[in-house]
Amino acid sequence: MHAVSQQGAGQLRRIDFDPVARVAGGLALRTVVDTERFEVVEASMLATMYRGYEVLLRGRDPRDAVFVSSRACGVCGGAHAWTSALACEMAYGSAPPAMGIVARNWLSALEDLCDLPHHLFQRAGPDFSEPLVRQTSPELWARAQQTPAANVATHGYGLVSEIMTAMTPFRGGLYRRALELTRVAKEAYGLVGGKHPHPQTTTPAGVSALIDPSDRNLTLLRIDKFLDYSREVAAVWDDLADFFLTADPRYADVGAGPKNFFDFGRWDDPFAYDATFENAPVWGERRWSTPGVIVDGRLRTTNLHQIDGGVEEFVDRSFYEDWSADGGVYATDPAGNNVSARHPWNKETLPQPGGPNLNGQYSWSTAPRWDRLAMETGAGARMWITAMARKQPHSRFVESTGHSLVMHMPQAALPEATLEWLVPERWNAFERNRARAYSLVHSTLVAYENVLIGYDLARIGGPDARTFTEYEIPKGGVVGVGYWGGPRGAISHHMEIDNRVIRNYQILAGSTFNASPMDPFGTPGPCEAAVMGTPLLSTRQPERYLDAMRAVRSFDPCMSCATH
Amino acid sequence: MSYDEVAADPLSNPVGGPDPDDNIIHLFWLQGMGCDGCTTALLAANRPSLEEMVLGTVPRIPRIILHHPMLDDDSGPDFMSAYRQAVEGTLGAPYVVVLEGSIPDDQSFPGEGYFAALGVAADAPQGMRATGRPDQPLRVSDWAWAMARRAEACFSIGTCATWGGIPAAAGNITGSMGFMDYLGREYRSARGLPVVNVPGCAPIGDNFTETLMQVLLYFDGAVKLPEFDELGRPEWMFAETVHRHCMKAGYYEEGVFAHEPGDNECLVEIGCWGPVVQCNITERGAINHTGGCMIAGGACIGCTMPGFPDKYSPFYKAPPGSAVSGTVSRIYGGGIRRLRRLSMTAGNHTPIWDRADHIPSAWGIAAGQKTPAQKVNAYFYKKLQYKGTVNHSARNKKQPQPGSRDILKQKGVDMSASVPVLGERVVTREEL
Repeated sequence: MHAVSQQGAGQLRRIDFDPVARVAGGLALRTVVDTERFEVVEASMLATMYRGYEVLLRGRDPRDAVFVSSRACGVCGGAHAWTSALACEMAYGSAPPAMGIVARNWLSALEDLCDLPHHLFQRAGPDFSEPLVRQTSPELWARAQQTPAANVATHGYGLVSEIMTAMTPFRGGLYRRALELTRVAKEAYGLVGGKHPHPQTTTPAGVSALIDPSDRNLTLLRIDKFLDYSREVAAVWDDLADFFLTADPRYADVGAGPKNFFDFGRWDDPFAYDATFENAPVWGERRWSTPGVIVDGRLRTTNLHQIDGGVEEFVDRSFYEDWSADGGVYATDPAGNNVSARHPWNKETLPQPGGPNLNGQYSWSTAPRWDRLAMETGAGARMWITAMARKQPHSRFVESTGHSLVMHMPQAALPEATLEWLVPERWNAFERNRARAYSLVHSTLVAYENVLIGYDLARIGGPDARTFTEYEIPKGGVVGVGYWGGPRGAISHHMEIDNRVIRNYQILAGSTFNASPMDPFGTPGPCEAAVMGTPLLSTRQPERYLDAMRAVRSFDPCMSCATH
Repeated sequence: MSYDEVAADPLSNPVGGPDPDDNIIHLFWLQGMGCDGCTTALLAANRPSLEEMVLGTVPRIPRIILHHPMLDDDSGPDFMSAYRQAVEGTLGAPYVVVLEGSIPDDQSFPGEGYFAALGVAADAPQGMRATGRPDQPLRVSDWAWAMARRAEACFSIGTCATWGGIPAAAGNITGSMGFMDYLGREYRSARGLPVVNVPGCAPIGDNFTETLMQVLLYFDGAVKLPEFDELGRPEWMFAETVHRHCMKAGYYEEGVFAHEPGDNECLVEIGCWGPVVQCNITERGAINHTGGCMIAGGACIGCTMPGFPDKYSPFYKAPPGSAVSGTVSRIYGGGIRRLRRLSMTAGNHTPIWDRADHIPSAWGIAAGQKTPAQKVNAYFYKKLQYKGTVNHSARNKKQPQPGSRDILKQKGVDMSASVPVLGERVVTREEL
């Protein structure tokens, strides 16, 4: 997987795509392509935008980081806001009441409903739409016109070609339905969140909202629409993935990658989360989405101390100065576990603006690694880890079996049904998109379940029905870290506070992992690695490098998050 | 002018107009130092929606040819070619520019480097200086000035592009600024417009698409130049403070305030800046008249304002002005509130209940007879209410009681054996 240049082979050609387009934020892809074997042999991802959130957060009130860091990402702003609120909660020693936690859970799940359809139909989707398939692979289009869609009963399209037509930008029914349904999710989000994508009700130790029966009912009624819609989406992507992988088995190599997954988990058990670092391994494992690390398909840990403790951030290929020469401030995390000088607790952000240069620097993103391995995070990692771990608490709708997630869909307009997402045997662009489609079902059920718990808590009343816990702001030096996740995976905010002011603030986001540049050991970032080795299978218009684009977009990279 | 004259105006009748394929305008989206939140807001817009404008189904505005890095079919040089043509003047159709995110100060770098980039130097158009070797990314700051020159109009969407926003906050190292700061006061578009500013972090999607529609209608001749305030904001959206239309403003008037997040009262004492912030989210909602910061319970942090974020932070501290206005409101509003409660007690009684001096509700909330004080108050209240006009109170006193009141008792239905109505105690909002 190393990006060793094969200059002199004669058939290598450099192809750049700046911008990649149909991803969030500024991303350029630079490749070397073997024009005889039609395969990408080298790939680097350039994050082309940097705003410096970690730098401008220094010297601010820690609570202000909730609203400021939210603006790092306009797709998963809520995820950053909650991560920041969790960091404050740890520093201040105060957890929200149960209703505050479940409201945060359902808003966080709703954030997926606001965003995942945009990926599946506005960003990645057009690569599978009639115009692009017809133009680049007419023989596939002809085949699609002959291939019945297996899931017609769920989504209503009789032929695979009809699905592709419906994915046509702006004109297609599926494209437009994603726009309409995300608006429904954004309405639900606004009811308790205030507004999307930067919620205004996030606060340390709770949610700044009085949640009345209307809020619960109006939220539930909108989630109800997704009980049907998410199933349609999963059915569509099942049919698409099966069609391509059957039509030409080489599609299994598009965006293929190792089974190395990383996630901090999210959606807290309202009766387990206590905002302490010491108990993080306990409350972490009680999350609806289980924290964990999978290496080469095997689950290595679900312990948040070990997950966070193994992280190191490298800047050799990035536009920053290295800070780690003096060994770092902290030898251990707050629980006494050893951490590296390159761990976020010890990181200092030292931007060094420049362009791609002979020193090998090419990206504004850093390269986070776990146990010095490149890690993929996102919807696939979330599903995979949760499926394997069998830790998930008391769900009325979702079962983790060790090799799959079984999702019991309550009746809405469609009748009751049971869906199962199986851990795939091979991991590639199609499985990533399929997993993301099923994660829309999963997030719908988590949102649904948490609103139902909200009903329970309101019925029972008492302190658990409150949304906010008062807290004291300690003087002196304290630290806090938030672990959460957005639609695109793991997010952590490490915060060091000195005398009620932020001294150091370190953000890691899902796309920092996925879209990271090469590390000093020569390992490319997960998205880079997935593009390398991707076969270019289009029979027409090969200059569009559609399959390389499919590989990149299957990660749904968000470069605003990645660089922050 | 008669209706017939208006209807005879060819502009009033789109049928038989120019070929819709000729009636197009390109929209170039530039992403500076932003977060894509404005794009997320754009996708949420519904009146009009992006797809309506792209499909050309909005009456009287040209069909929009969209060039947006998050939504375009094409990548790399194929995507950039239209940007290049726009700068070189060879696009063959009018265009507008929309900037999302602020402009960084990377023009001041001595050599290569950028804080926000788009395309590579090899694709640089004539007349726009490239910053280095052909493999170096092009700065968005270069595209911004080069494209602004020939644009029919330049729009800033969101608080970063309008005023600088968070990338321009204290401690930033990027030197970020708004589009107006960057282009300067002399800038005018090809149609003579300064930069149009639609702030908000993120803005309400409809605020942007409606502004765009209004400007395109002006280009079409259908409306006069939309009214923009002295900072280029759509005046009809941003003239009022967000407090004036806030559903919690009534609490302020009566002098009752939230003490902590999650309280339902006015939020100024937990850090709401609404009384001095120009924004329409309490009127329009966050999306489709749903949500909105204070409506949900979140304090206003001034995200539409040029001073955001630093003039409104620390966010969790009450604005200094609230100490004065809040105290005044407590004294004055406290009295008003008590008088209103008295009126509400009267208003919660039907004339039938007044005549019977009995309330048939078993819920207990409105039950109970009027106190002497309430009766005295009601007497004078009615005097004032009906002075010089019809006296419905007197009319109601003469109105006969309906004979079939209390029908179950009249029919001899025994309810004493029924289950207690309120098996579970009703939890009040205050107790929650």
